Amino acid sequence: MAAYRHVLSALIPALALVAGALLPSAASAQTGPIRIGVPTPLQLQVGRDTIDAVDMAIREINAHGGVLGRKLEMVVADETENPETGINAIKKLTADEKVDVLIGGYTSGVTLAQIPHIQRAKTIYLGIGAASPAVTRGVRTDYENGKYIFRAFPLNSQHQARALAEFINGVVKGELGYSRVAIIGENAKWVQDLVPLLRKGATDLGMEVKLAEFFDTQTSDFSPLLSKVKDSGAQFLVVILSHASSDVFVKQWYDARFPMLIGGIDVKSMDADFYQRVDGKAQGEIAANLGVRAPLTPKTIPFWDAFVKKTGRAGPVYSAFGAYSAVMLYAEAVGRAKTTAAESVIKELEKTDHVGVVGRLQFDENHDIKAGPGFINLFFAQWQDKGERVVVWPKEQRTGKVVLPAWIKK
Amino acid sequence: MLEILLYGAVTSAIYALLAVGFTLIFGVARILNLAHGSFYALGAYATYVLSSTLHLPLALAAPLAVLCVAGFGVLLERVLVRPLRGSQIGVLMITLAASLVVEQVLLITFGSEYRNVPSFIDGKVAIGHVDIGGQRLLTLGVAVVALGALLLLIHRTRFGAAILAVSQDPEAAQYLGIPADRVFAQVMGLSAGLAALAAVLAAPFLTVQPGMGLLPMVKAFAIVIVGGLGSIPGSILGALLLGYSETIVAYLVSTSWTELVSLVAVLFTLVLRPAGLFGKRAAF
Amino acid sequence: MTVRRDLVGAVLAVSILAVAPPLVGSSYLVGVLTVAVIYGLWAASWDFMSGLTGRENFGFALFIGAGAYTAGFLDTLAHLSPWWGLAAGMAAAALFSLLLGFPTLRLKGPYFALAMLSASAIMQRLMLIFWETTGGEEGLYGIAPLFSSPLAYYYFVLAATVASVAFLVMLARSPWGLILRAIRGDEATCLAAGIDVTFYKMVSLIISAAFGGLGGALYAHYQLQVSPQLFSVVTTITVIIMVYVGGMGSIYGALGGALLLTLLTELLRDFGQWRLLVYSLTLILILFFLPGGLVAPLWRRLRGGGGR
Repeated sequence: MAAYRHVLSALIPALALVAGALLPSAASAQTGPIRIGVPTPLQLQVGRDTIDAVDMAIREINAHGGVLGRKLEMVVADETENPETGINAIKKLTADEKVDVLIGGYTSGVTLAQIPHIQRAKTIYLGIGAASPAVTRGVRTDYENGKYIFRAFPLNSQHQARALAEFINGVVKGELGYSRVAIIGENAKWVQDLVPLLRKGATDLGMEVKLAEFFDTQTSDFSPLLSKVKDSGAQFLVVILSHASSDVFVKQWYDARFPMLIGGIDVKSMDADFYQRVDGKAQGEIAANLGVRAPLTPKTIPFWDAFVKKTGRAGPVYSAFGAYSAVMLYAEAVGRAKTTAAESVIKELEKTDHVGVVGRLQFDENHDIKAGPGFINLFFAQWQDKGERVVVWPKEQRTGKVVLPAWIKK
Repeated sequence: MLEILLYGAVTSAIYALLAVGFTLIFGVARILNLAHGSFYALGAYATYVLSSTLHLPLALAAPLAVLCVAGFGVLLERVLVRPLRGSQIGVLMITLAASLVVEQVLLITFGSEYRNVPSFIDGKVAIGHVDIGGQRLLTLGVAVVALGALLLLIHRTRFGAAILAVSQDPEAAQYLGIPADRVFAQVMGLSAGLAALAAVLAAPFLTVQPGMGLLPMVKAFAIVIVGGLGSIPGSILGALLLGYSETIVAYLVSTSWTELVSLVAVLFTLVLRPAGLFGKRAAF
Repeated sequence: MTVRRDLVGAVLAVSILAVAPPLVGSSYLVGVLTVAVIYGLWAASWDFMSGLTGRENFGFALFIGAGAYTAGFLDTLAHLSPWWGLAAGMAAAALFSLLLGFPTLRLKGPYFALAMLSASAIMQRLMLIFWETTGGEEGLYGIAPLFSSPLAYYYFVLAATVASVAFLVMLARSPWGLILRAIRGDEATCLAAGIDVTFYKMVSLIISAAFGGLGGALYAHYQLQVSPQLFSVVTTITVIIMVYVGGMGSIYGALGGALLLTLLTELLRDFGQWRLLVYSLTLILILFFLPGGLVAPLWRRLRGGGGR
């Protein structure tokens, strides 16, 4: 009995809160602040850095008087890595918070689940996390409904495959003189899209693909797979993973000193302090990065340093580059359109030509970010002594040469 | 073949350390402890904090971490499990909620990033044509010693006799002057300590992040079913069976199929021989 | 007497749910309520089999997923009307329960729970392994909505759930339900009394699965997407926690528990990254202090007169 009374006394204030939350919040359309909705996984680094970067961009714009005389403000909703929560986040931001634009995203599965709901809310979405080409497919197949979706970041997996093939041609084949590679990737949509393209690209270059295998995203032990790669005789192992445990992957490669060089797209290895977090066992891994602390554009180094100063962390993860630039290019489009009405802003967004923090940003006819030299590109950096990251590809940005770990003979 | 033999042995050893603790607490207290994976995660994070943040030498940090987690196990039994022990689903739910809390606390305190638990041995060892990390061999050795010690403890000491008595009939044991409640708490501590030991040994080459406890717990669960709930030799055999079949599937079929192995094994065991390989109690 | 009060309570509860959307005035919260009601249908169906017979089904997600994927495939591949999806979702889930029920229902408590759990987890992994057909971790997306207006869909889901739950409650209170409860109490005696225990357990599992599948299809046409996460243990556990908080064995309590917890998770959004911690701590408090659950025991006290 007493227990009930306790629960009830706890519930009553909660109910009062609920009633308060249910009252419709007034948000007038063309006056007051411009609201930027950020659906992102709050508890992950990707989400944390997205929020910090959006906040940085908003502060800068507001310090210069905002857009059309209106200030910008951010509304965050946790989308986790679960589609159901992701859909709820979109509905909260569009229906309740009445945001003018959505900037965020991480897991392709969540983003794809959100898209129909974003389209029905007729709200502009600037994706900055998901790489699956399917995200912008609606723009091509059904422009009237699909036009709200843009991918401002990162490169879609087709572009990533092409960039990887160029890296294999330039570094793996060209510099190291290897001819045998193996490709392993986690069993996720964007990798399933990427691997066949990469395989074909490598074969076209005259490389021998000794092994290509998908592994479960929950794989807890990579040793059997690494042994198989070793037995296949591959000299270079291309790895593509984002959600799987990349710490296990490099630790086990290093612990048994597997005799092939590893590299590719390892999303966690983009973190500035990844090397420290795996006790230096990433030594020699060549990971693709979407941004590095180098003068890629005049804005790169100032942004990087300001981000480090603001957050006290070692460096931004990839979502921060996209989030910061997406706010900037949205603000520019609104400025040109002289309104926040979606239809007009979309027209202006399509004309975007913006120098972002890691490259020049333009959208192609599918609302997908353009990729390649000068635009958004992949930078391949190798972890070398004492956790120094040395850019080895593309040639224009390189800061050093590939160094083989001590146990790998050329 | 040699790599299957070696890598399979290491995997089995880790699984056995986890499964034995899980089955022990079921055998004695008849509860399924869904917080068992939290012990594993806490073991790794405790070592991380003690060695990387407080800069204790690993030889000191590791046993200290195991002790802390064992203490946490006792506490969990006293505070949350004991009052609900009458209802099996009640215990299931409360230990599940406890494991959610542990995961969230780790996530909020340490973030979603990987953390580094240092290894005792850095180098590799070459056996035949197989290269294997030294820490893995150490894990195998320590696990075998720990399991041997556990069997001795149960069959050769008064504490072990009390465990056996309580697991056969808690009420009768109580009449004989064995404090069943205290035995439950001690066994919970022991089981938590074993899971933490597995983490201290394996975390240097496996993943360390807040959700790290779930998968090992599911594996332990599966092993215990295959071996027979409550049977220690059964769970050791189950661990070998699962560790090796996963390694073999990874080598011969594909790594994307490994996670399916334990699940299929469980379903088949339950349908064909529900009491497990060594289970005494009827499951029908 | 208590029956009449139960009826009054039910009418009251349904009317509150029916007038909630205009009061709430936010299509986001209407969406949350829709999902909450679907969870209610799942919780009530779970309770019908497991709460009554005492066989905790830890693989219920299998039926949810089967219903959702069937509806999804019919829509995205065959382009059939969504109404077919609802019927086919129910049928597919019932079929799965038939296939799994025979080998597993003879098992005792935890063994049945684990057998079902592994069956649903196997389905989840198969969805990932055969990604070329199933869409892998992204699952199926671009499913057509059943109604274009969210409000219309809410009322449809509410009507379907209320009808299903009323049916399940009546069944549970019929002589039929009495037999199921008797099986929970003492299976051996029931056998001795000449009751075909296996038959009753089987049929109750099929009914529970069919309504779970219906909920799955409703869910698919609301979220417009299905993913392998539906098959995961997490889905099952979410549903069981709802039943537990609602009060096991009452069925209507499960519906209440589902509404309560879904709203709680959404309303805790303001806690940001602390949300799940607050949620799980709340859960511990409820589980610890109210082992009999919250909703059904509370209603029994309000109503008086004992009984269920």
